[in-house]
Amino acid sequence: MEMNEDKKDFKTNTVGDIFSDNPKIVSRNVSVYYNDKKAISDVSLDIGSKEIISLIGPSGCGKSTFLRCFNRMNDTIDGCKVEGKIFLDNENIYDEMIDVVPLRAKVGMVFQKPNPFPKSIYDNVAYGPRIHGLVDNKKDMDNIVEMSLKNAGLWDEVKDRLDSPGTGLSGGQQQRLCIARAIAVSPEIILMDEPCSALDPIATAKIEELLQTLANDYSIVIVTHSMQQAARVSQRTAYFHLGELVEVGYTKHIFTNPTDIKTQNYITGRIG
Amino acid sequence: MTLIYLILILLFISLCWFYLGNNSAKIIKTKSGRLHSLAHYYGLYVLLYSFLPSFFVFIIISVFDDLLFSFLINDYIPDNIKIEPDYNKTIILAQIQNLIDGINFGNPSDWIILASEKMQEWFKISTISNYCFSILVAIIGGYLGFKNIDQDFRSRNSVEKIVIFLLALSSVIAILTTIGIIFSVIFESLRFFAIIPASEFLFGLTWNPQFEGAERAGSGQEGLASYGSVPLFVGTLLISFIAICIAVPVGLYSAIYLSEYSSKKERSFFKPLLEILAGIPTVVYGFFAALTVAPMLRSGGSLLGLDVASESALAAGFVMGIMIIPFVSSLSDDVINAVPQSLRDAGYALGSTKNEVILKVILPAALPGIIGSIILAVSRAIGETMIVVMAAGLAANLSFNPLDAVTTVTAQIVTILVGDQEFESAKTLSAFALALTLIVITLILNFYALYIVKKYREQYE
Ligand SMILES: Nc1ncnc2c1ncn2[C@@H]1O[C@H](COP(=O)(O)OP(=O)(O)O)[C@@H](O)[C@H]1O
Ligand SMILES: [Mg+2]
Repeated sequence: MEMNEDKKDFKTNTVGDIFSDNPKIVSRNVSVYYNDKKAISDVSLDIGSKEIISLIGPSGCGKSTFLRCFNRMNDTIDGCKVEGKIFLDNENIYDEMIDVVPLRAKVGMVFQKPNPFPKSIYDNVAYGPRIHGLVDNKKDMDNIVEMSLKNAGLWDEVKDRLDSPGTGLSGGQQQRLCIARAIAVSPEIILMDEPCSALDPIATAKIEELLQTLANDYSIVIVTHSMQQAARVSQRTAYFHLGELVEVGYTKHIFTNPTDIKTQNYITGRIG
Repeated sequence: MTLIYLILILLFISLCWFYLGNNSAKIIKTKSGRLHSLAHYYGLYVLLYSFLPSFFVFIIISVFDDLLFSFLINDYIPDNIKIEPDYNKTIILAQIQNLIDGINFGNPSDWIILASEKMQEWFKISTISNYCFSILVAIIGGYLGFKNIDQDFRSRNSVEKIVIFLLALSSVIAILTTIGIIFSVIFESLRFFAIIPASEFLFGLTWNPQFEGAERAGSGQEGLASYGSVPLFVGTLLISFIAICIAVPVGLYSAIYLSEYSSKKERSFFKPLLEILAGIPTVVYGFFAALTVAPMLRSGGSLLGLDVASESALAAGFVMGIMIIPFVSSLSDDVINAVPQSLRDAGYALGSTKNEVILKVILPAALPGIIGSIILAVSRAIGETMIVVMAAGLAANLSFNPLDAVTTVTAQIVTILVGDQEFESAKTLSAFALALTLIVITLILNFYALYIVKKYREQYE
């Protein structure tokens, strides 16, 4: 099957439209096991090109697990097994032939807690381009670093101290540094796992603003525990519950008029 | 009656006081229905009041009676003995003590017998008064504490204060002991430097200590003894360097393997095994070096046409390197493990291979700790004695050739201080000068290590 498979033939328990008109990622029947425990089961979802889609749901429902499937970060966890198919630009990323190194260059990730390397700001951003051999002279590297920091909205704050340690920045700045580090390798998709949960409201607002500009160039999948955040930033929203994708649809629709009873309960605060 | 019984008695008295204090607190509680602290704190309070002062009195009396008696005994030493040129009071006191212990060499003079009888008499008095005073203090102290008990008395706070004081006292004792050791080494070294100029000791290129007697016996060959410590320090550095060259790569690689590549099973098997290496007594390493490694190097060297001394720096350094592998590997493994998983995740998520994550993320982040573990291993190597004595030899050659026999500072200190010795001679005193220099070098090393680590911390935190 490829992405142009007849959509009507595909059966799923998920309420709403899992398909996208212009899909970047197509996932079908994805189940993930930790050792023998099933963490998510039979999730199918398209991620559209240059859309922001948010994954919401009570904690432990498998949002992060699903997110980690897209760049195969689950491979780094002992005893984790992924079933099903995920296509990125028509290529099954769980195919035996796939090399994770270029895949992860194509699919960037930002984590819950800012995790800059204990290196200078410059070296943090330059890390990715260096290991992928993207540039071969200092001038091009300087350009990449500057562009990435600019796109992450951090350039003006750090341009005078690129040599000082990235770990010395404030939490919000660190998180934007991590975003700059991720976009320095020119990914096409950015995964974000609760990127604002460790940040104060002002830093959060800055990141949310940044997300809107980033959406011009990248597809963004963001996990968030804050429904307000999902409502503010994303075009589509997917609601997970106990490892299942319960409902997916336009954000406006999900938050104002959810179809499934579980989604209703969650939106109205009865499941938390 | 020895003093050990006295301590038991004091303990018993204070335990009685504990019981009394505890009980009376309980009675107060039932009567008035209110008590500031739990009952046993009152018991503890009275116990401490009884035991601590009496134990203090006990220590004072037992320490100072010796001093007092050695002063009083002066009156019993005949004047004509006191003016003899080689008059030595320590020796006379030892003779007296021997007589008291029933050890007898030849016929002691009458005055020594008299003095020892007097001494015995005094000791009896001191023991008895020690008993009387300590017990009295134990009883009075306990009573004073006991009197304080009432329902509002804050016994818990007082006990805590006393305990904090005792804790502080313990750390002060540890510090004072260290200072005492350093000062005693300094004083002996000063005596050495009064005989041998410091410049000769520090910059001289031959080490050949001799007893005064040997010099004289050597018929006019004065100046035969020389105390230039450079060969010893060069030997120490050479052997430590060889050891580090072996321990750092092996230790670091095994740490990386253990923490990044091995499965849980392998890790739980190999890590304790490595740590056992650290528990093997160094003397065992010593004969491993002397009996196995040195002959192997010798025959291997002769195959290549090299002349390897039967005791060589290489053999000692090699085995010492093996000995300190666990220091490097175990500590490095700990610091590598302490690098947060989030940094590894960041590396992998950017598309790093495992190698890149280890080389470019984990090792730089763990560097301060790794340097710390290497420095610790270096100071172990510098201070190590047994392996050197057994495998490197005692020939103080000034050589940078690892195939030669060399000796180290520690090995020389041992040979100088083992066996018969004249305490006043330059040879014996030179051991202290060596020790002092060694202490200074290790201190500088440690400070430097701390400085490096701190700089890295500032850079990365
Ligand atoms: N590394 C792991 N090992 C074992 N179980 C895990 C691991 N990570 C997550 N899980 C389990 O998988 C389920 C989903 O977790 P997760 O994806 O982190 O949920 P969410 O991100 O929605 O809070 C949970 O039950 C969790 O206990
Ligand atoms: Mg999560």
